Amino acid sequence: MSPESTGLDNTTLQVLANYCAAAAESMGWTLMRTAHSTFVKETEDFSCQVLTPEGLTVASPKTFGATWYTGLDYGGVIPGFDYRDGDICITSDPYAGFVATHTPDTHIWKPVFRDGALVCFVGSHIHNTDVGGAVPATLSRSLTEIHQEGLRIPPMRLLRDGVMNQDLLNLISRNVRLPEQNWGDLNAQIACVNVGERKVHEIIDRFGRESFCTGLTALLDYAERQSRALIASLPDGEWFFADYADEDQEGGYPVRVAVTLRIHGDTLTVDFTGSDPQLVSSLNMPTGGMERHSLAMVGVVYALYSLDPTVMLNYGLVRPARAILPPGTVMNAVEPAAVGMRSLMSNLAQTAVIGAFCRALPDRMPASPGSGVSLMNVKTTTRAGRTVMASIGPVGGGAGGGPFADGSEGSGANMSYLKNTPIEISEAEIPVRIRRYGLVADSGGAGRWRGGSALEMEFQLFAPQSMVTARNRDRSIFSAWGLCGGQAGRVSRFIRNPDTDAAVELGSTDVVSCDPGDIILIQGPGAGGYGDPVERPVEAVAADVRCGFVSADRARTDYGVALDAALAVDAAATARLRAELSRRRAPGEFGHGAGRLAFEAVWTPARYDALTRILIEVPTTWRFFVKHRVFAALAGHVASTGGGAADVVAAYETLAAGFADLPPVPPGLASRLAAAAE
Amino acid sequence: MGYRVGVDIGGSFTDFAVFDEATQRLESLKVFSRPDEPGAEVLQGIRLIGERYGIAPEEISYFTHGTTVGVNTVIQRKGLRLALFTTEHFRDVLELARLKIPNMYSLLSKRPQPLITRDRVFGIAERLAADGSVEQPIDPTSVEAALEGARASGAEGIVIAFLHAYRNPAHELAAKAVVEKLAPELPVFCSSQTWPIIREYERTITTVIGGYVQPRVAHYLTSLQAALRQVGIAADPRLTKSNGGVMTAEQGKSDCVQMILSGTASGVIGASYIAQACGIPRCMSLDIGGTSADMALILDGQPQYGVGERIGDFHIFIPSVAVSSIGEGGGSIAWVDPLGVLKVGPESAGSRPGPACYGRGGTRATITDAFVACGLIGFSALGYASVTVDRDRARAAVGELGEKLGRSVEQTAEAIIRIAVSGMYADVSALVSRFGIDPREFACLAFGGAGPMLGCFLARSLGMREVVVPPTPGVLSALGGLIADIKNDFIATLYLDLDAAAAETVRDSFAGLEARAVAWLRHDQGYDGAYGLTYSAELRYRGQSFEVDTPLDAATVTAADAAGIAEAFHRAHERVYGHADRGARLQLIAIRLVISGATAKPALPRQLREPGPAREAGRATVWIDGASRSAALFHRPDLRAGQSFRGPAIVTQDDCTTILPPGFCAEVDEFTNLRIVPEAAG
Repeated sequence: MSPESTGLDNTTLQVLANYCAAAAESMGWTLMRTAHSTFVKETEDFSCQVLTPEGLTVASPKTFGATWYTGLDYGGVIPGFDYRDGDICITSDPYAGFVATHTPDTHIWKPVFRDGALVCFVGSHIHNTDVGGAVPATLSRSLTEIHQEGLRIPPMRLLRDGVMNQDLLNLISRNVRLPEQNWGDLNAQIACVNVGERKVHEIIDRFGRESFCTGLTALLDYAERQSRALIASLPDGEWFFADYADEDQEGGYPVRVAVTLRIHGDTLTVDFTGSDPQLVSSLNMPTGGMERHSLAMVGVVYALYSLDPTVMLNYGLVRPARAILPPGTVMNAVEPAAVGMRSLMSNLAQTAVIGAFCRALPDRMPASPGSGVSLMNVKTTTRAGRTVMASIGPVGGGAGGGPFADGSEGSGANMSYLKNTPIEISEAEIPVRIRRYGLVADSGGAGRWRGGSALEMEFQLFAPQSMVTARNRDRSIFSAWGLCGGQAGRVSRFIRNPDTDAAVELGSTDVVSCDPGDIILIQGPGAGGYGDPVERPVEAVAADVRCGFVSADRARTDYGVALDAALAVDAAATARLRAELSRRRAPGEFGHGAGRLAFEAVWTPARYDALTRILIEVPTTWRFFVKHRVFAALAGHVASTGGGAADVVAAYETLAAGFADLPPVPPGLASRLAAAAE
Repeated sequence: MGYRVGVDIGGSFTDFAVFDEATQRLESLKVFSRPDEPGAEVLQGIRLIGERYGIAPEEISYFTHGTTVGVNTVIQRKGLRLALFTTEHFRDVLELARLKIPNMYSLLSKRPQPLITRDRVFGIAERLAADGSVEQPIDPTSVEAALEGARASGAEGIVIAFLHAYRNPAHELAAKAVVEKLAPELPVFCSSQTWPIIREYERTITTVIGGYVQPRVAHYLTSLQAALRQVGIAADPRLTKSNGGVMTAEQGKSDCVQMILSGTASGVIGASYIAQACGIPRCMSLDIGGTSADMALILDGQPQYGVGERIGDFHIFIPSVAVSSIGEGGGSIAWVDPLGVLKVGPESAGSRPGPACYGRGGTRATITDAFVACGLIGFSALGYASVTVDRDRARAAVGELGEKLGRSVEQTAEAIIRIAVSGMYADVSALVSRFGIDPREFACLAFGGAGPMLGCFLARSLGMREVVVPPTPGVLSALGGLIADIKNDFIATLYLDLDAAAAETVRDSFAGLEARAVAWLRHDQGYDGAYGLTYSAELRYRGQSFEVDTPLDAATVTAADAAGIAEAFHRAHERVYGHADRGARLQLIAIRLVISGATAKPALPRQLREPGPAREAGRATVWIDGASRSAALFHRPDLRAGQSFRGPAIVTQDDCTTILPPGFCAEVDEFTNLRIVPEAAG
């Protein structure tokens, strides 16, 4: 019975799409159902996909799993094996083929054969809780080389002709802290790809081998055509945007991801030239410079899908796009850079790309999401002396105000996939008292459409040597930016013992030791607002005040809305205030927060441009050192009106004079600066 | 001895099942629903029962009723204006839900607007610890202040949900006492009394939804009671519950949270009864209407239960018959995207304007129109002559899409059907993987207005072994209510590490639940027959974030047998997740007890099997499986047990049309179900 085997055309393409989606969803549910890791079950940090014979993603689940792997390309690891029926291959090496993006991610792929011919691959990945290395759970920002980040499995066979590679399993179990959990997860992945294989056979039963094979290509082509049609409808041009993370290492300097978006006809480029050099911490992204590496494309996928949610989410969507990822930068780290916490940099790259799209399409894109979500973990001791650990949930901020609606509260946009941990579960599991959990008033950026509020959590620990980790801590300096007259969201905060004499501001620290009785307060970053706050309807502002999203004070100062003691609108005073605000304000394209304005007063675009131009000429291993020395030299030196690039050159020349390995200032840069000076 | 009557009120039709306790005879009846005057359809039905079967209202000794008034109140957001009192500094439990955003790929996606806006949420100074001990005593003045605020905001009812109230209701009850004293006119709903589970959002939203629907449900039930008394029915009506049981209407007025999914649960109970009677061990019920398509698993004649069933934009966390949505039903609209690719749904024409072929203003092609355009339905009026099918309108609507695609009307219509079926296939496939089952071992029990129309197509795509179409597919929900047992769930959250001492706590806590359960059955429900108790516990491996509901036998419980409880869990975990870790430490989160008092079950009407070919009522030229074919037409009431026929064939009856594609054959079984199997297997 093969009622669908009438060939593929526009009336049957959606049928094949549905069948492939069914295969992917079935794979995903199988993996969720049988996996052991908490990462899989709680943060859904996994992916699975039907792949073309070349390794391009055709279908993946859409309502669960990680959102970063829409266009995942296994092409870097697929060649080099003579595949037979029953084989499964594996890798977790971020520097071999650029499929895995940090060592905890175990990727496997299985060829599917029909009538002796390889018709496609099915693949999956899981974030294992621990793969060995310097620290429990493998990941830490402070690690400096990939070799500290646990076991790296280069692309190799896990099964041959259906027979398990026992040597490899032995090797894995001797190198990880919880081998049974890894083994359980690996079994779940194998079950997942086996379901995928079976589902593919069901599809071929229905469509025939030929139609299935051409159909996979047709589905990529369809997404590509959708994508091209969408891109062609956007204005041609070039838009630059940069966003910053607070620290490039523990207590370090800010780090910048810069992107130039070029839209030309039905193609686009995201050029990350100008992004910071790779870091001596684990925040680097291992993209191998691949033009459509899935990590480099996350922001593009979010932007395209948000502009047109009818586009199919597969590799075809990113075919008209291309990333330029200069080697030796955070966007394309060179071995042996550590990459474990590449998620923070990936989040930053996403908001940078979203910002560039905002410049191109300010009337169709939302302001910056809060992003910068901290994943909070607590390690402490019970009264009985047992060490316990628990994830007490993500604490971040909302989505940016959009052109038609307020941002979602407490989470959203590029952090939409996260789930929280119930307070009652955290308190029942470990000795922690959560004192406060909810939204922070006045944290969402003011705007015609308000940015989503930040989330906050305050908790107390009771045992000595307790440890709090806040993975991906960020945005305590650089807030989420507003758009089209909207204001920035409030920065995040992380404080020990707030409102006491012993209060300590922890900034973007991500590991904190606690004494008995210590109280920790963490507030995520609020999201940016969209549009002039004065244009927000008075009644909407009053409702925000009644609901506690906005204080009466800020209603007055940010929105020009005056309320009386009973929170009724004082129309006359409001009219006066709004007229006043309208006169005073000069809203720019973006509404940046004080942290960024202060930083950019020193580090102007011209200076940063000069620095990154110098660094690209410096040997990779020297770059981080040079960046820090130049930053130190310019600390507090507000730039002159011309941008002050010459100061950077001068600082570098002073530095280079002391080190023979450092090259001179690139001649092009020197002559350009000279010309500018005249 | 008397008559038992089950009634199910749907959006378009109201179904009656009538059971004669003396003769075991089962009859059914259908009238139009009267959304304009709820209750009128019930009275009309009672009148018709009198006329048709000679049954006087006073002879009706038992009356059950399933209704969608609860779920519709949530979907239409027409419930009570509530205020919520939470623990101070935890006001955003509804705003945040579990944080995840529905469409995680869109930067613009948002969680649905909460049922209680933040200006009506008030923090109360109080705090309990996770073990239920008092950390900070409740401050009554903060309750008074909150009440004042609630009144100022126009609240018409109060929900109280404090942290750890599942462990100790004292603070919630203290706050409730303050409200009842100062504002006796306001209804109060406490989370500890509604459903005391751990996890604050899940417990709070369940309580909020219960309170939100309460006045409408209570008003509705009061009107129904009055109407029934007026016509002389002495029996107090019983209400079908989300858990597949029944309770008194009187209790339904206060315990609304229990009856929200009343309607869908009844259908599955009815389907389960048929599956059991027919000896179908593994069954999926497929209930497709104009705007919804639902699937439920029925194993060994038993529906499956779960928590977290969907109610409009939200989920509710009381035990319910597990039903999963697999699409938008026969009214889903077909369209062609800018690149010329044909799509179906998610937009639906609903029941108004409905499919183009209904001639009620709809102009866009729906799945139903595609079937009409292929000539597969439209041989008699749909739904008891309420809707006449206009084939020209269907063809025009489909033809418009065909022009864009460069395809004939029939080709386009068939493509629409294939896309619709493949969409349902995708949803069912996901469920199959979620449950870890093999659809090839399952029969598909198709009902609802469009279930029998699509059943064979879906079963074919999934490789299911059989499609079963009951004699009156519309009446399954009414039947389900009629046969449902008097049933209630009880829960106690314990949160213990499983050891010998814990097993004793489990035993003692079950004894406490049992006393409450028996009191409920005997006193609240006035039931004095035999009853059954079902024990289960929610357990997990330490470190897991979800529990597995583990059935326990009475002996294990009374013996306080920790090892027995552990082994039961390992087996349950193995069954659901495919693996168990017998060396790992276990946590017991909650215990659950279900009490059920059996009601009399009707025998399904049987016919003697007389094998032979079914008599064709005519033939029609239809487009199916890529060609124009001659299909046999059968009139359902004419079909007798033992008769058989082959596809392509079309079976018409008052409330639905059954379609057999080529390659299927059907036989009428002794219960006059159509049993349809692929020929290769038949």
